[in-house]
Amino acid sequence: MSLLEVRHLSRFYGALRAVEDVSFSLDEGTILGFIGPNGAGKSTTMRILATLDVPTAGEVLLEGKSVVERPDLSRPLIGYMPDRYGTYDDMTVFEFLDFFARAYGQKGKARIDRVDSVMDFTGLMPLKDKLTSELSKGMKQRVALGRTLLHDPKLLILDEPADGLDPRARIELRELLRALAAQGKAVLISSHILTELSEICDSCAIIEQGKLLATGPVSEILHRSQGAAPSTEVQLKLFTTAETLEDAARRAERLLLEQPLVKSVVLAQDVIRVRLELDAGSNASAVWVDEACARLLAVLVREAIPVCSFQTRQLDLEDAFLHVTKGRVA
Amino acid sequence: MTTEAIPAPAAPLRQPDALDVFGEKLADRINPIVVKELRQHLRTRTFWVFFSLMLLACLGISLVAFVTAEESEKVGLVTFFAFYVALSGVEHFVIPYTAYRSMAREQEDETWVLLSLTGLGPRRILAGKLSSFILQGALYASAAAPFLLFSYYLNGIDLPTIAIAIALGAAFQVFLVSVSVSLATLAESKLVRSLLHFVVLGSLGIGAITGTSITIGLSEELRKSSIGPEFWVGSGSAFFAMVSTALLLFESAASRLSMPTEPYARGPRALFVVQALGGLVAFVIAWVVDGDDDILAGAAVSLAAYLAFVGLFIASDRDSMAKNHWAANGRFSLLAPGGLRGFVLVMLVMLIGTSVLVGCYGQETNTDAGVLNLIVGAPAYVTLYLSAAIVIARWIPHPPWQTPAMVRLVGLGLFTVGSGVPPLVGAVVSEGDDRSLNILNPVVGLVNLARDGSGAMVQVVVVWAVAAIVALGAFLVLLKKDVRWT
Repeated sequence: MSLLEVRHLSRFYGALRAVEDVSFSLDEGTILGFIGPNGAGKSTTMRILATLDVPTAGEVLLEGKSVVERPDLSRPLIGYMPDRYGTYDDMTVFEFLDFFARAYGQKGKARIDRVDSVMDFTGLMPLKDKLTSELSKGMKQRVALGRTLLHDPKLLILDEPADGLDPRARIELRELLRALAAQGKAVLISSHILTELSEICDSCAIIEQGKLLATGPVSEILHRSQGAAPSTEVQLKLFTTAETLEDAARRAERLLLEQPLVKSVVLAQDVIRVRLELDAGSNASAVWVDEACARLLAVLVREAIPVCSFQTRQLDLEDAFLHVTKGRVA
Repeated sequence: MTTEAIPAPAAPLRQPDALDVFGEKLADRINPIVVKELRQHLRTRTFWVFFSLMLLACLGISLVAFVTAEESEKVGLVTFFAFYVALSGVEHFVIPYTAYRSMAREQEDETWVLLSLTGLGPRRILAGKLSSFILQGALYASAAAPFLLFSYYLNGIDLPTIAIAIALGAAFQVFLVSVSVSLATLAESKLVRSLLHFVVLGSLGIGAITGTSITIGLSEELRKSSIGPEFWVGSGSAFFAMVSTALLLFESAASRLSMPTEPYARGPRALFVVQALGGLVAFVIAWVVDGDDDILAGAAVSLAAYLAFVGLFIASDRDSMAKNHWAANGRFSLLAPGGLRGFVLVMLVMLIGTSVLVGCYGQETNTDAGVLNLIVGAPAYVTLYLSAAIVIARWIPHPPWQTPAMVRLVGLGLFTVGSGVPPLVGAVVSEGDDRSLNILNPVVGLVNLARDGSGAMVQVVVVWAVAAIVALGAFLVLLKKDVRWT
């Protein structure tokens, strides 16, 4: 049995269907990326999972118990970090965490020890006596994450935690999340920075206009997004003067389109994107991409196209997202 | 992991003494919100500025009293009330306003969500807020206490007067803090927050001045030797009204902040019953003491006004209840959520109240038919307007019309139209208080009932007939909307 099971979840606000028939599950020790554009229904779903809203229909089970019917039993198991992580500006980091530890019912030395261990884990110990108003955004976000960990929840729900953070703070957050997953916590994280999610998520759920379009391991969704036929993308750059660039690019485009396996060629400023695709159902060898690329490069060189850069690009979560969401929900 | 420099090592920590240990144990036992609020507010500039200002004012008053002590016999009384005014400025304005800001900031900064997730629950969070500001009031009062006692030694005031004035002031402070914290829970949007800010400032300003004047007046009254039972009944009723209204507002705020799966309706409904029936008891006691049947008429009209206003909030609850409430309470527990049960509860309280008043009226020897008309007629208007609001709001299929807020708006609109339009039409075609035109008018209709005595029985029957039909409609509509869990 999964730690979290979401079954046919719907939330309507009058005529607006914010979430419709969403189902997915999440196991202990895994990170699920919840992906979708703004207004897709991510935050609404997360608020329902965090017991802050009730669904119009459907069920959410945490350790087999209904989150909707018994929020009091579920709250101790959930750590929720909303997209605006509010802090009390006139409290120090220690006072802030200590207050929430008290609110979670922790007492005496056990409470102090827990606050210390959370500050240690999130790297906040050197800042314990600093007012939260004096912290950087990245540090405030750590304080917020620390707050969600105080009661040692099994499920972490993080709504856009990386939003507005600098690259270094993002990398640090990623490491913290990996460490939490390694401890056996299930993490549901939403973001619209897809490259970031693809690096840390074991699986993802893609949602648009309230409907779940795809769910499963990232590799599986990537594979599915490639379609039935194996494909890859090649990016190449030309080295020439500005005056002759367009002419060279046109020549290259014509030449490329005449080659076998080339399905499309897109000219984008000084880059040419070439999509190579085997026929559906054909028996692809393990090195078909390498073979096709070698042949393509040879043709370009033979025809004196001034290629200065030639590289294949692996499909990522962004491609999968674009592929899955494109025109599916009108 | 950290990106900021590690500060220099701190000085060695002092070993906690017995007082520290006791303080820590106490802090573990009390509501964590109290600890948080006290921590926050004791370091604010507002607290220390007003604390110093109050002490300075008291010091100034003491000096003036000391200089003029020989000149008047009443110097103790005047000095006491001067201290009282200085203290009341903080207790009845600054602290309630700070309480409002504190609660509103929880919503503005979205820390409210974090508090709800801790499992404290809205009631404990609000109680924590309330307690912490009452404690702050006690801190101010303890600083002013030596000055208040000083006034006793100046002669002209006795200890009971001091004690009663302080007790009334404390009760009024609790009331104002409760109102402020409850109002702050309404501040969900920026627009409402801006409007509320001015409403709270204005209300607290007026409330502080009125409350202080009433307290001083009552304390003065108490000094007179001949105080009748009417005074005690009046004071007791006012005290009950203040405390129960504060509690009702508190429970309503807690209810507003609760999830549909939490037992949000129980508190406000229980308080509604207590306040309605408690008020009725106060009227009955006043009637027993005074013997005037006008008190019964006043009771009927007051109960009707209360049921129409507060009842509108109770009966306009969202439809149905969550499955867990159904499982725990069954469908017809009147304290469980749902418009259907709210409506039935209001009708039941109205029936009990009317029966009590009719019973009292039956004990009268010199009966006035106008009073009976009011006792029997006023509930009919309540039933009519409450039911009509529900029927109309539910009848319009567009979703926003089904919301509690819309039912309340329709109710207020109906009351405005029902009481304002018939007299206007009457002024054009016959007279403003025309009997036929105003038969369903909740204001002029009631005045006509009181005025016409035994000749108004037909009006009572007609109003009750219309009210009963509309009430049946409202009941059926609510019953249809009430989801039956299997």
